[in-house]
Amino acid sequence: MLLAVDWAGVAQQVVAGLSSGGTYATLAVALVLIYRATGVVNFAQGELAMFSTFVAWTLTRHGFAYWPAFVVTVVASFAGGVALERVVIRPVERASVLTIAIVTIGLFFVVNGAAFWIWSPEVKSMPNAFSTRPIHVAGVAFSISDLGIIGVSLLAVLLLWLFFRFTKLGLAMRAAALNPDSSRLSGIRVSWTIALGWGLATALGAVAGLMAAPPLGSFDQNFMQPILLYAFAGAVLGGIDSALGAVVGSLALGVFLNLLGTYVSWVGTDLRQGVALAVILGVLLVKPAGLLGTATVRSV
Amino acid sequence: MGKSRVLFGVLSALVVASAASAGGSGTPGVTAKQILIGGTTPLSGPASAYASVAKGADAYFKYVDDHGGVFGRSIKYKYDDDGYDPSQTIEKTRELVQNDKVFAIYNTLGTEQNLAVRSYLNQLKVPQLLVASGASTWGNDYKKYPWTIGYQPSYRGEAAIYGRYLAKTRPKARIGILYQNDDYGKELVAGLQRGLGKKAKLIVSKQGYDVTDTDVKSQIARLKSKRVNTLMVFATPKFAIQSYSSARLLGWRPLVFVNAVASASNTMTIAALASSKRQTEGSISIAFLKDPVNPRWKGDKAVTLFRSILKKYNGGEGLTDVYNVYGMSSAFTLVDALKHAGKNPTRASIMRAVTHLNEHNNPFVLPGIVVKTTPTSRFPITQARLERYHDGRWVYFGSLVSVR
Amino acid sequence: MSRVLRVVVAAAAVALVLTLPHWLSDAKAAEFARAGCFFIAILGLNLVTGYTGQISLGHGALMAMGAYTTAILTADHGFGDLWTIPLAGLVAMAAGFALGLPARRLSGLYLALATFAFAVAMPAILKRFSGLTGGSQGINLFDKALNRSTGALGHVHVLGRALATNDFLFYLTWGIGLVLAGAAWLLVRGRVGRAFRAVRDSEVAAASSGINTGFYKTLAFAISGFYAGVGGSLFVLVSNWFVSPSTFGFDKSLLLVVGAVVGGLGSLAGIALGALFIQFVPSWAANLSNAPGAPSVFFGAAIVLVMILLPVGLGGLLRKLTEPLTRRL
Repeated sequence: MLLAVDWAGVAQQVVAGLSSGGTYATLAVALVLIYRATGVVNFAQGELAMFSTFVAWTLTRHGFAYWPAFVVTVVASFAGGVALERVVIRPVERASVLTIAIVTIGLFFVVNGAAFWIWSPEVKSMPNAFSTRPIHVAGVAFSISDLGIIGVSLLAVLLLWLFFRFTKLGLAMRAAALNPDSSRLSGIRVSWTIALGWGLATALGAVAGLMAAPPLGSFDQNFMQPILLYAFAGAVLGGIDSALGAVVGSLALGVFLNLLGTYVSWVGTDLRQGVALAVILGVLLVKPAGLLGTATVRSV
Repeated sequence: MGKSRVLFGVLSALVVASAASAGGSGTPGVTAKQILIGGTTPLSGPASAYASVAKGADAYFKYVDDHGGVFGRSIKYKYDDDGYDPSQTIEKTRELVQNDKVFAIYNTLGTEQNLAVRSYLNQLKVPQLLVASGASTWGNDYKKYPWTIGYQPSYRGEAAIYGRYLAKTRPKARIGILYQNDDYGKELVAGLQRGLGKKAKLIVSKQGYDVTDTDVKSQIARLKSKRVNTLMVFATPKFAIQSYSSARLLGWRPLVFVNAVASASNTMTIAALASSKRQTEGSISIAFLKDPVNPRWKGDKAVTLFRSILKKYNGGEGLTDVYNVYGMSSAFTLVDALKHAGKNPTRASIMRAVTHLNEHNNPFVLPGIVVKTTPTSRFPITQARLERYHDGRWVYFGSLVSVR
Repeated sequence: MSRVLRVVVAAAAVALVLTLPHWLSDAKAAEFARAGCFFIAILGLNLVTGYTGQISLGHGALMAMGAYTTAILTADHGFGDLWTIPLAGLVAMAAGFALGLPARRLSGLYLALATFAFAVAMPAILKRFSGLTGGSQGINLFDKALNRSTGALGHVHVLGRALATNDFLFYLTWGIGLVLAGAAWLLVRGRVGRAFRAVRDSEVAAASSGINTGFYKTLAFAISGFYAGVGGSLFVLVSNWFVSPSTFGFDKSLLLVVGAVVGGLGSLAGIALGALFIQFVPSWAANLSNAPGAPSVFFGAAIVLVMILLPVGLGGLLRKLTEPLTRRL
């Protein structure tokens, strides 16, 4: 399998993997955020990111440049996320986690369908945030765009860490997620912190979509589905309660998928998804809280 | 086994015959005022982009109805959503045949989806007309499935054209293939090998991708590292565009052949935007339909008609979408066949008509292409033209080629 | 509920199943039969999620195991289709057992990912081993008539009565469904059921009272796998004896969870309503508009609405409606 190694080829696969992993990372951070703020996994997270991306695409078609469209979309997505929580999640706030998960599955269908309905199913393309001119170093090609995307996800991690660590609101959100009942008693408006969590996660999802879509070259209404799967896997691999873990997990996953698909011939491209997920499962069995997650102490 | 299968065949034929005679004299789906046909198409799920194939056809039928219909009958085309899931195709088709009592199943989209209902429809002797899939089985296996017929050029035949062209013009090429890892992609790969013939050893690398992949960066990097200089892209539009943009990110510019499903003008425009003009320059493909975006057809009567039909009957949507042209072309052929199926069409007479097509006047296909079938030659469209992407548009070169 | 009422309800259910095909067209009977397949799979899922508290997003893949067992044994090994149904259950049971192993160590989200991975990988696995599974074209048993219990136009003779194919399939799926529902009911009433519920309510407490939680979790998954396998096997028969990988994408797994939760995780009637929901609501949604994407919007909105209006599911609503009745009895 690995007899005649072409090192430039391997290095190129690693770079391509980091580049793909970078597109999973920001969404993975969004998943971590909403998990920490609300204790649920949002199955519609990827579709909301897709929807935001289409909004930005519409803006760029109406004369906006990339970055102004980016800012408008992220702000609008925050508002949209809060509104969505108020309308759809609020009524089931105290229901079981499973009920909320099913509501997000329902949202998944609604948002995906609505995007097809509003924007026709033809593939779209939008301008890049960063330069994609190839840079060659020792026979390996990469671009500013690859670095920029990973940089943005790390920046998001830093901002979130600062927010949760040092702001009153951030602390309130963490408390509300950990123990809603006693938080209520201590005067935290739990319902609103959850709405805020949705707003932040949707805004971050918009960032993820806007980072992921342009360098793909083309995207359609389903482009976030595989990214959500890998982001989910990356977040769990890194430890679902660690934002930095989510970035590390996503990048590792991107590289691992490429090397597996390219150099292990019986896996190839068709089985790499399954094998990669199986390996993550193996990691979890050894280290159930993920690479960088905190283990919950459970005495049995 | 063989003997008992024959016996069963005879028995089931008897059952069918008795069922048919018991069913009365009227042909299902045909009344004095209307002919009802049905089919399935993905309106939801991963393949919704192909919905225009049904929508274009539907708009054309409405246009025909407003101009007198066929022998005074209007054509009602009922297309149901199967979400691209073959088990739903079965369910919806059964409903169309048994509850709605359609005259024929028409234009159902997808290879697996049509395979899923082929035996069922043939056993009931319900025509399965102008299947929207380029698998070669629709034209090849008519002896076993006489009630089924395809429409578009086969994927195998298309790729064989590229193979023959390469064998002739680039005998020293290092060919690399990016293909979709399913029947669609594999038929194209097989066709290329057939067309290359003895030169098949020019293929130095084959990289598959799965429809659920996020991108094809890894595959393109692999092909580049194999020193490929001629890249075959056998993909859907989304992944074709991605292969251009990923190649550009690597600073790699091979000669690209892109298959017809993924080479519409609006797809190539996006590909050029997502990579660069130099990246798409010189790409080669084939075409058999008039692409509404191609400046070559500016002012063409058929394209003008195409636009006005979409404006009137489809809310003005899909004006740049070549899948809509496909739908209209297919609908034109069905209308043509219905005209030849007699004043009171039956399921047998429509099959006779679609296996005796000789259509010189289909306005939606490229000039010179004849939509032609005989009972033993059941590929309606077997001609196409090679085209080269130059300066932001497709330019035809050479004469009509045979897609066999 | 009193014992008398329970007998009455059971009898009413049987009577309903027996008479329903008389009011249905042939194609509609087939659709109800398909709902019956979902009913059986959701019965299994309910054992894992409703009773044992473990999340599984992989039951669609377990159905696929059962479906392909039936297809392969019938197509390549000369089995009669009906005889493969229990075998399909057993194969999926083994797969369910394997799927349950991670549940011994993982919980919540992590288990959800593990099972979801199985669902996502299933179509690729089926395509990869094409020698066995027919690749992406799938397996078509329709032409292999000799091993089939009936054909599209045929009739089946059961106890001297001739039944149309789809009526026969209706009775077959719902008959097997009711038997399996009875078996599940007996199971959850007994010692095993108590252990399941103990694991769900508090693993720590269950373990400290001497229950082997790992064993019962795996057991729940295995039994549940049997149900899903039988559902999958019947799904092949109902789908014109045809099976292909794209039928068992991860969306089938999500759909089953939706069916289970919409049904209310618990009562038999709720599960039946959940199965009918995932069978019929998408079709209704598609009839509302044929703009691309519109069917998904309506289907998704229906899910959200049901969950908001009835957080305990359709089963809960049913319980509320029948409460006055039961009190009177």
